[in-house]
Amino acid sequence: MTAENGMVNTVLGPVPAGELGVVSVHEALLSVLPGAEYAFDIRLDRAEVFETLAAKLTDYRAHGGGTIVDSTGMCHGRDLPLYEALSRSTGVHIVASTGMGPQEMLGGYFLTPQTNPPTPWPAEKFADLFAREVTEGMVVPRAERRGAAGLVATAASRAGRTATDESLLRGAARAALGTGAALSVRYGSDAVGDLEIVLDERLPAGRVVVGGLDRRDAVAAGAHREIARRGAYVALDHVGAADDDHVTDGERVALVAELTGAGHGDRVLLSVSATGKSVGERGNHRPFSYLLSAFIPLLAGQGTDGADIRRILVDNPRELLPAR
Amino acid sequence: MSKVNTVLGPVAAEELGIVAVHEHIGYGMPGSELDTRWWKTPEERYAETVPKLRAFHRHGGGTFVDATGICNGRDVDYYRSLSAKTGVHIVACTGFVGGDTALPFFARASVEYLTAQFTHEIAVGIGSSGARAGVIKVGVSRGGRMTALDKKIYRAAARAAVTAGVPVLTHLAIDAEPAVAIFNEEGLPLDRVLFGHADDGVNHDKTRHGWIAAQGGRVGFDTFGYETELADPPFWARPRKDRLNHLLSFMSDYPGKALVSADANCSPLGWPGVRGHTVNYIFEQLIPDLAEAGLSATAIRRLLADDPADFLTIRN
Repeated sequence: MTAENGMVNTVLGPVPAGELGVVSVHEALLSVLPGAEYAFDIRLDRAEVFETLAAKLTDYRAHGGGTIVDSTGMCHGRDLPLYEALSRSTGVHIVASTGMGPQEMLGGYFLTPQTNPPTPWPAEKFADLFAREVTEGMVVPRAERRGAAGLVATAASRAGRTATDESLLRGAARAALGTGAALSVRYGSDAVGDLEIVLDERLPAGRVVVGGLDRRDAVAAGAHREIARRGAYVALDHVGAADDDHVTDGERVALVAELTGAGHGDRVLLSVSATGKSVGERGNHRPFSYLLSAFIPLLAGQGTDGADIRRILVDNPRELLPAR
Repeated sequence: MSKVNTVLGPVAAEELGIVAVHEHIGYGMPGSELDTRWWKTPEERYAETVPKLRAFHRHGGGTFVDATGICNGRDVDYYRSLSAKTGVHIVACTGFVGGDTALPFFARASVEYLTAQFTHEIAVGIGSSGARAGVIKVGVSRGGRMTALDKKIYRAAARAAVTAGVPVLTHLAIDAEPAVAIFNEEGLPLDRVLFGHADDGVNHDKTRHGWIAAQGGRVGFDTFGYETELADPPFWARPRKDRLNHLLSFMSDYPGKALVSADANCSPLGWPGVRGHTVNYIFEQLIPDLAEAGLSATAIRRLLADDPADFLTIRN
């Protein structure tokens, strides 16, 4: 089966990969820092949230975008009925994700369970929790399951991978391996080391996208080259970021050129890591369309040809996302 | 007028009747809502819960204090419907069972923000329900020592308790010295604090009951019914007679300092619960046991009605 014919799980059901169009693999629609839903001074107006997100998705589509992957996992604001209605009304395909991480984002159920002693969850339990979101559908907490997750997403801690982060990485890798879904890893402090953990679970590197590789520490370490060399996808996923943590768009263009020039053009993915609506934390309010309206012209202007651009925006995600 | 916040509005303390001071309609660790193994339909939840509250009411129970923290499945609209339909006063809490049940938004928050959260839920209401919290829950994380986050929550609770006048319930009374220091620093009288779970099988011999009472604190013998006599007791169970004797000896040393409850779940949210254990242990086992041990009806009434009413009454 070629990737073009493979099916991708969107919130409205499986869609042939060939229909995805331009895909942004690391974005957030409704992003809620866990706990913020109970804050006394935060009130979410559901209609207003819908209007905000619909406008951003429509804008993305108007700039040529086809698919948004909400890669925030199962407990950072994911709202499936909202995403279904958004996809229906805007025509943008929405892929939602299972998974969670890093450790700080986890509820006590996973970290200090009501057992004696309170041993944190092992990889196997995370694997089962995530895999069932692919095979049985994603959960609306304590209510129902909806459509299948299209991606397993996890992350390690910026201060360094904890024991529970490692359980998350291994559990997410097992869920990806068992269900055929792709795996997204936002690295903590050691991108190659985090990738090695999931490869140790025998997940083929071609099923993995490593995010955050346009962070300055990753670039300094040459992680983008090593990740691509191992065969995993390199997500330069903070397009537009201009801060102390991340390289500039100019440097990002150079990274794309370097990887393409080294024969890794089939391993590059681009995304903005925007938060369509952010609750309880600062968020990234750059439009999803920034990738297409600002960055791609910059990339083209610096000499990356149309075929390479199309490969990065359309072909690479079309290879990654279908369940294998 | 002496009054107490219930989920259906303030009531006079004189109306509370027999109080179960530390209970749960349903408790689950944050994250358990994602695991379908614990899910039950709303029909099942009501079917498990309503008969227990109706029995509580029939036995003469007046008030059920729910100590389920903000992130542990607290559901005030649900409590309002249960209270309205069963006639049991339900007091909801603000606060957290322990730092390890506070989700990242609150774990990252300042003492000032947490104080504002608790105060708002007491003075204005919880979410959009309009129901005001009547107690503040705090606690010690798993591991036996207060963490930095636990201490931040205790300090915010102390400030909110001073301002808004409601009392504080603690989950666990181990490592009480830093807690007492924080309450003293913030000017909260210790009779406004119930140091809970001082009686369970894991912690009773690590808890300085006498010291807490000597500082002025109240001590919760509030896990009554989690006993080794059960068919499938939990790890914190304790022989019935040991707990009862412990309570009686404490009451004789420190009159007026003990409060009792069962810490039962009507319908647990994120764990199996303990079969055969309900809030009604208070009526079906504890009160007969106390009477048999020689406590007068007046003494029992003081323990289960007068002292908890005094504790719950808003003071500001």
